[in-house]
Amino acid sequence: MTTQEPQAAKVSPPKQAKVNLRDFSMLIALVLISVVFSLMDPAFLSSRNLSQLAIELSATAVLSLGMLLIIVPGHIDLSVGSGLGLVGGLAAVLITGKGLSAPLALLVSALVSVALYAGMGAIIVKEKIPAFIITLGGLLVFKGVHWLVINNSTIPVVDGGEHNLYSILTTYYLPPTLGYAMAAVIIGLLGLAAFNELKKRKARKLEADSEGAFLSWFLSAQLLALFVLVLNQYRGLPLSLIVLGATAFVIHVLSQHFRFGRYLYAIGGNEEAALVSGVPTDKVVILAFAVMGVIVAISGFLQTAFAGASTTTTGALMELDAIAACVIGGTSLKGGRGTVVGVLFGALIMCVLLNGMTLLALSPEMKFIARGVVLTLAVWMDVRLSRSTARA
Amino acid sequence: MGSPEGQKPVLEARGLVKRFGTVLALRGVDFDLRPAEVHALCGENGAGKSTLIKTLSGIWPHGSYEGEILMGGQVQRFRTIADSERAGLSVIHQELALVPEMTVAENVFLGHEPTRLGMVDHDRMLAETDQLLSRWGINVSANASIADLGIGQRQLVEIAKALRKDSKVLILDEPSAALTDKEVEVLLTIVRELRSRGVSSVYISHRLEEVFALSDRITVLRDGQTVITLDTAQTDRAQVIAHMVGRPIDNLFPRRRSHPGKCLLSVKGLSVAEPGGEKKARLSDISFDLHQGEVLGIGGLMGAGRSELLMHLFGIYGERLSGTAELEKAAVPGTPAACIEQGLVLVTEDRKRFGLVLNQTVGFNLSLSAIDEFSPRGFVDRDQEIKRNSEYVDSMRIKAQNQETIAGTLSGGNQQKIVIGKALMTKPKVVLLDEPTRGIDVGAKFEIYELINDLTDQGVAVLLVSSELPELIGMSDRILMLSNGRIGGSFSGSQITQEALLAAAMHPGQSEPQPEQS
Repeated sequence: MTTQEPQAAKVSPPKQAKVNLRDFSMLIALVLISVVFSLMDPAFLSSRNLSQLAIELSATAVLSLGMLLIIVPGHIDLSVGSGLGLVGGLAAVLITGKGLSAPLALLVSALVSVALYAGMGAIIVKEKIPAFIITLGGLLVFKGVHWLVINNSTIPVVDGGEHNLYSILTTYYLPPTLGYAMAAVIIGLLGLAAFNELKKRKARKLEADSEGAFLSWFLSAQLLALFVLVLNQYRGLPLSLIVLGATAFVIHVLSQHFRFGRYLYAIGGNEEAALVSGVPTDKVVILAFAVMGVIVAISGFLQTAFAGASTTTTGALMELDAIAACVIGGTSLKGGRGTVVGVLFGALIMCVLLNGMTLLALSPEMKFIARGVVLTLAVWMDVRLSRSTARA
Repeated sequence: MGSPEGQKPVLEARGLVKRFGTVLALRGVDFDLRPAEVHALCGENGAGKSTLIKTLSGIWPHGSYEGEILMGGQVQRFRTIADSERAGLSVIHQELALVPEMTVAENVFLGHEPTRLGMVDHDRMLAETDQLLSRWGINVSANASIADLGIGQRQLVEIAKALRKDSKVLILDEPSAALTDKEVEVLLTIVRELRSRGVSSVYISHRLEEVFALSDRITVLRDGQTVITLDTAQTDRAQVIAHMVGRPIDNLFPRRRSHPGKCLLSVKGLSVAEPGGEKKARLSDISFDLHQGEVLGIGGLMGAGRSELLMHLFGIYGERLSGTAELEKAAVPGTPAACIEQGLVLVTEDRKRFGLVLNQTVGFNLSLSAIDEFSPRGFVDRDQEIKRNSEYVDSMRIKAQNQETIAGTLSGGNQQKIVIGKALMTKPKVVLLDEPTRGIDVGAKFEIYELINDLTDQGVAVLLVSSELPELIGMSDRILMLSNGRIGGSFSGSQITQEALLAAAMHPGQSEPQPEQS
């Protein structure tokens, strides 16, 4: 309806404010949830629990970031939960069963994962079968193959009492000084990036919200510093968190600064227009699934290492957590909308909920119900907010 | 109220002012509609026509605007569309509001289904719809599914829907934009018939032929203000256009011919089947050459296969049965991405569906096709991208606050300019233009014609599809008329007359194309 009112587009200040409110609404929700949990059990904010939370978060958040690349072009992947179980299990079997070295085993499993996911992507675009169906098939098949691979038993990631690259993924912590140094460097780089972006926007005569940019940077710097401080009081920054940070950086750059990312948003926004504009839509979607293969491998290794062994339940239902994290983080299931920062917040909210409820020793029934309610509420709020933004 | 009883306006706007935030969309519109009158509303895109209609019909509720709306001398305070419909005012919008999965009758009665014992009375609904359609000479079956109708027929169904409500005032917003000439005739007959029965119409159209064929008076809007109200009988097109743009346009079609160079695109004996299993020929035995610096116009009635020809050349329609298409002596590749790389681009007719990613920014859309140029090794060089985009925003005169404005919020003309700019940024050798001026205002049309001249001056070849014969004649060096998927005639120089072209479009011997046997 608004297409005929070019004037209406100029009323941007209130719209800008609404978008910001939406970004900060996730932060507010996160703080609220944390406050409630810490009031009910002070141990929630202990460095030991936060360290635990950080490790739990890693696998889910990495997976959610991969899911972002699938949902933005308008697809979905239901297979990742059992896929990561399979890949993690395969690596464990290669090490403890076949005697391969850990790095080689991880590399081989990751390549298998990429092949599987690129293959699914190819079937989806070439045969024009909805991703929902193909990946639902993948969910079942991968689960069965996983159980075959581990022979329905428990396969440890390393022989008893030893360490390897696989096991240290979730047991290694960075020395405190290194943690501080990293935090300082990251905060500095973030500040520099924000400053540069502002300068460029001003030079290009675009809207430049210096206060907002400073506020965002300042808040993230505070949070990061506080987080490192707390974690260092326990054992330091977990290695898995570094893996997550690196993944987030890569996915962010890939989606925002690479042609590949542009194409993903174009396909999700209007696939036919993207095709006519010369976007190689099939290749782009297959590539997105191939990247998902890498992501599934990483989160599979993290998740399996976290448990110490591959079991028949490794990864179960994680696809739903990943989709939920994307949606809570403002990713549109119709495609064309979603950001890395949003997904990180979404994953954090899901993990904080689960961690807090576990700490309070809530029954599994209650945990499922609570997560479902939060997901529904988050989507409902998002729909309400975006509707009121559209009306303004 | 000095006018005699009965001449009291059925609809009147007094000093309407409508703001969106700090922007004035209407800055004082006065308008009156007499009983049994057809009153045309003309103005460029963004002049405020749509805002005026939305205000009159209650989409922008009472209280959100200044000024008064009167019907039959009574001040009206519409809060919703339902209010204005109750008062006897129906609007037929540019964008249709029909449910494609339902039948014509179900759509006509949507929300007002006759019932019998609590169940929908389908027989009565069908019978009454049939009656309604035949009374107004609309040749559509009441039982047909909307999805099976062409866009023109859908428009007529939309009008039938409004007629069922026995409205006193009908507002038609660009009703003819997607109609064939024959359908336009039906439409004009309906509006005239309505007038003779005392129903007044506000008729909005970019097609001045219709405005002059139909209206009693013409009101011109510019920049949200009433410029003038003219008696149709005492004015002419040039005068109306001059009021619309605020400056006289001497030559509507400023084609500057350049000397054709070497052959760029060569099509020989092309036959193309519809998508789907049946292999029914949609295009048969099409041949033509297109040279550097030349505009080859493609005309024909709706359904003649013009868009299909362009879309097939660009690799997004149908299956080739026979024939060849060569770009500079090499076969035209089969995908849009490869075509663009070889220097062939398509500017689509359906910009919402094939043209734009509406939820993304102006800049995102502009650079989408040419992004390879500033993303060596995949990494997008934002500085260069923004610089290139700015060049096109300026040269195409795209009116947007900045490159980060969401494309979907712009007016149709500006959206069209983005689609064209996106295509030109790829530095094409051959441009396929499918209805490049559909639904955009006179000023923007003129800019697009100038652009075509600039392109041919630089040696680019243009294949131009247009439904408007004057535009086709005015802007083409040669013209190919299609008729039922075949070439009905080829024209150049003094052979080009409206009569000759129309005759070729309705080529009698080939009205029933047979599927190819080969």
